[in-house]
Amino acid sequence: MSARDAILSRLKSTAPGPIEAEAAALLTAPERPAVDESALEAEFLARLALPSVNASHDVIAAMADLPAAIARYLEGQGEHLTLYLPPDPRLATCDWTGFTLHESAAPDEAATLAIARKGIAETGSLVFETSPQAPMLPNFLTLHHIVLLAVKDIAPYLEDAPLPGVQPRAHYWVTGVSGTTDIEGSYVRGAHGPRFLHVILLRD
Amino acid sequence: MSSFTAKADTATFKERTDAALADRILKVAVERTAGTAETKRGIAVAAFPDFDAARDRAAAIKDHVVAHLGHYLEMFEANAVAAGAKVHWASTADEACKIVIDLCKAANAKSVARSKSMLGEEIGLPHALAEAGIGRVETDLAEHIIQLADERPSHIIWPAMHKTREQVSALFKAKHRSPHEEETIAAMAESARRQLRGEMLGADVGISGANFLIAYTGAICTVTNEGNAELSLVPPRVHIVTAGIEKIVPSMPHAVHMLRMLARSATGAALTQYTTFYTGPKRPGDRDGPEEMHIVLVDNGRTKMREEGLAEMLRCIRCGACMNHCVVFRQIGGHAYGGTYPGPMGSVLTPVFDGLPQSRDLAHACTLNGKCQEVCPVRIPLPTLLKGWREKSWREGLEPTSMRVGLGVWAWVASRPALYRFGTGIAVRAMRLLGRKGWIDRLPLAGGWTQYRDMPRPAAQTFMAQYNKERRK
Ligand code: SF4
Repeated sequence: MSARDAILSRLKSTAPGPIEAEAAALLTAPERPAVDESALEAEFLARLALPSVNASHDVIAAMADLPAAIARYLEGQGEHLTLYLPPDPRLATCDWTGFTLHESAAPDEAATLAIARKGIAETGSLVFETSPQAPMLPNFLTLHHIVLLAVKDIAPYLEDAPLPGVQPRAHYWVTGVSGTTDIEGSYVRGAHGPRFLHVILLRD
Repeated sequence: MSSFTAKADTATFKERTDAALADRILKVAVERTAGTAETKRGIAVAAFPDFDAARDRAAAIKDHVVAHLGHYLEMFEANAVAAGAKVHWASTADEACKIVIDLCKAANAKSVARSKSMLGEEIGLPHALAEAGIGRVETDLAEHIIQLADERPSHIIWPAMHKTREQVSALFKAKHRSPHEEETIAAMAESARRQLRGEMLGADVGISGANFLIAYTGAICTVTNEGNAELSLVPPRVHIVTAGIEKIVPSMPHAVHMLRMLARSATGAALTQYTTFYTGPKRPGDRDGPEEMHIVLVDNGRTKMREEGLAEMLRCIRCGACMNHCVVFRQIGGHAYGGTYPGPMGSVLTPVFDGLPQSRDLAHACTLNGKCQEVCPVRIPLPTLLKGWREKSWREGLEPTSMRVGLGVWAWVASRPALYRFGTGIAVRAMRLLGRKGWIDRLPLAGGWTQYRDMPRPAAQTFMAQYNKERRK
């Protein structure tokens, strides 16, 4: 007998069905942190500022203001205007004069821009999916992770994060920077990946 | 290196415990991390609306999955395969290792990047890779530390909890290409970052565990604070996942509930920094990601646990709260337990993997104070399960003769009230003679007990003698 058959033959259901209805019933009114749904932006920003998330933020009124906001941030950090941009057509409309743009991320890339599909107010998380326009690795190689998020895309709870239907190859939530407490429980930022997370909110 | 870690694999439980108790550095190191974890969890749980109800729900979700485990595994398999992943099944640890090694060989792998997985430790994957001559890069910082020190994890969340900063510093200075100069923890972490970045990007295969398997979508979920899982799993050509069959949850919202419980119970955070769901390999047009994704579903005793009264243990989400709050773990650290998993949950699991004759001491080392059960996010009745192992050990005649004879004599005397009262009366008087300033610090025949503890000097008479005297008044 194959291992598969050996395992499955011992795992017959020990309770009556209907299984799907029972699974759905387990999700009724889940306990979760309270989020004021009438003030999602404020709730999101409050979580973003928590020590565990430790992100800075800026606000812009239009896509055209994005390069200036990124320049402001990088100059404030004492970094050159060098940036990895994902091949996302929404970014092609911006004027990147003054920037050195990278089409692929170097192993020690200083700054990377990514567009979040959603922000989650409950935790201050940023939600991403992989696609030909959105590679994943640059967001982990970089020292400064810069994320564009439209205010209209802020949702209250983590349950709002996943896409319905067929799943992308990777769906991921970023809730802070790469950190570790592995040496004597003491917190260090920038363990392997980003040391800084900067969110630019688009209030279009 | 702590004095006891070197002999952890050969010594008896008592020898390991004696060495651990005598190791002052170890106690400081364990206390620093577990103490912080306990405080942070307390704050997070107090801030959560009705954490107790959330624990009931988490337990119910896991019980539902365990009751219908076959159904969900088949559903997970079908969805993962539809997304392009290959699913493998392993009944035993050896089978699982063989599958992984064969996959690595087929990929011509010279080096693999590993993202911390307790299941990997459980099945002995590091050892199997070494035997096959395949280089292994441990990418979690703590796993990197213990790989350099050639030790085993001492905690399931902080595997290098037993190491002080001074020990880590010495290790990095001896083994890193360009080690830190400044003696700070930040500089040490930076040294590891420099060392590991290139090794991760150059690996041929990435190996991870899974915190959750999502049946409805076929996704596997990893959580890390370091981002090392993503850096280990996205660049290589092949991603291999090894996961225990109990890791299933039905859907994403079920996973969300479990993630809320996991992060708060483990570190006191609302969520881990990086939470990723991988569904199959790279898609057409994707610029990164592995070309192959393999998922090895591992039984290794789990179906047996489900059949033989340990189904509740299959709820475990490996958060580590039970050990952080355990008075015994806080005294002896993780290595003294001798198995892959330490602390209360390890004391329940180790007899499953290593056999009860080798590990019966673990259940006896528990004080049954119930703290582990109080903090467990999925309400596993750990003390009850440990008592189950004690009873089984007794039934199977595994207890030493001295214990069996001693208890037999006690039972004979205890069933004769007059003799029992006479005996305890003498014992009380004898113990009072040994007490100084209200405390007994040495007791004949109980040196093991009083070596690390003092006992209050007993009252002049036994409780029964005082009670009878009061009644006669
Ligand atoms: S037994 Fe409970 S507290 Fe211990 S690791 Fe498992 S889930 Fe966490």
